[in-house]
Amino acid sequence: MNTRTVNLNVNGDDLILNVPVHQTLLETLREQLGQTDTKYGCGTGECGACTVIVDGDKSLNACLTLTATMEGRSITTAKGLVKNGKLSEVQEAFVSETAIQCGYCTPGMVMKSTSLLLKNPNPSEEEIRKELEGNICRCTGYDAIVKAVQKASLSFPLIKNAAE
Amino acid sequence: MSSRILPEFELKTPQSVDETLELLATYGDSAMIMSGGSDLVVAMKMNLSPDTVISISEVAGLDKITYAPGQGLRIGAKVTIAQVLQNDAVKELYPALWQAAEVFATPQIRNSATVIGNLLRGSPAGDCSCAILALGGHIVLQNQNSNRDVSIDDFWTGYNQNARKGDELAIEIRLPPPSAQTRTIFKRMTRVNEDLAKINASVRLEMDGKLCKGARLAIGCVGPTTMRLPKTEALLTGSEINADILASIADMVATEISPIDDKRSSREYRIHVSGVLVKRLVQQAIN
Repeated sequence: MNTRTVNLNVNGDDLILNVPVHQTLLETLREQLGQTDTKYGCGTGECGACTVIVDGDKSLNACLTLTATMEGRSITTAKGLVKNGKLSEVQEAFVSETAIQCGYCTPGMVMKSTSLLLKNPNPSEEEIRKELEGNICRCTGYDAIVKAVQKASLSFPLIKNAAE
Repeated sequence: MSSRILPEFELKTPQSVDETLELLATYGDSAMIMSGGSDLVVAMKMNLSPDTVISISEVAGLDKITYAPGQGLRIGAKVTIAQVLQNDAVKELYPALWQAAEVFATPQIRNSATVIGNLLRGSPAGDCSCAILALGGHIVLQNQNSNRDVSIDDFWTGYNQNARKGDELAIEIRLPPPSAQTRTIFKRMTRVNEDLAKINASVRLEMDGKLCKGARLAIGCVGPTTMRLPKTEALLTGSEINADILASIADMVATEISPIDDKRSSREYRIHVSGVLVKRLVQQAIN
């Protein structure tokens, strides 16, 4: 099996990983690092459950990313948004707006919403729905999720980087 | 039925175009080239099993969009759909391509998928493919010994097949500069943008008042490749686009396409809606 050594920063921790070249970032996070906050939904980039943020502001499907091609990059996942035990503004809003039912889409939704607010701190409803087009929810019907993002935008700090 | 498990392969991560071309000269047809991987990784999870994957993720210099008046637009091999969306020159001067980028797949995929990748995959449903076929232009292919230009009109040679040879790297796309008379537009028919289009179409018209001096009409999902509509183009070219001409577009389009029934749509729907879609795009482009 072909493996490669990769330097990766995951949620603020600098790691040196040895990964098979055909391993996806999703597999690395869940199986090698035991970080199961990022979910496997479809494996083909259609459901968004595996959404992570790369280099502070770029949302990507971890299931379609080969870890071996991510040398030197920084990855933020849902648990990386928690600072000193405190949920982020987006995470809090998902809780307070009951935008979570089974919870499976939630980490992906939270990551995508976070990357949206980093670029556009005051999105319209249409912009929110458009930006969440790549995240599928089978439970909520999306309205509570949209409300959560709108609520989060009211208190979202002016930061440029999800890793801050 | 796919396993959705990636097969094993050799991974190469060249640091330069020269290194990439050297690898291609050696590995040629047994290698696949990867940039964002949003299409290739899915294909490998389904049924594709190349011996070697050459990732250009670490190759410098292929990630630029540049526009120069008189010369036109150059889109490098690694330019993502997201980059196209953020580019003012594309939005203003090549609206058909910008409109295709706006509805392309999902925001996550737009961050890694490349414009050139859409052309190279050559699916007849490709949104960027449709817009670029209407806009016109060519792809620059390079190997160790030479480079050559292939017009977009000649690029797709069959279903999911294109003119690139195994030892060639598609370096960039070049689109000609628009004139003050150029009007371009793109639209796709779909339930949600994440789905592949049922039909997509794009038009490029050179308009002198109501007189159409040139027309390029591109349509996807109605044949083995994205295609032009030469008879419908001839109907428009040199004519004043009036109500009679518009009324005759739909029937002419239907004679030029060969759609099938598939998972996304039916032959019947495609025959009917293609004509309406092209007519509406022409109407919108001239208003």
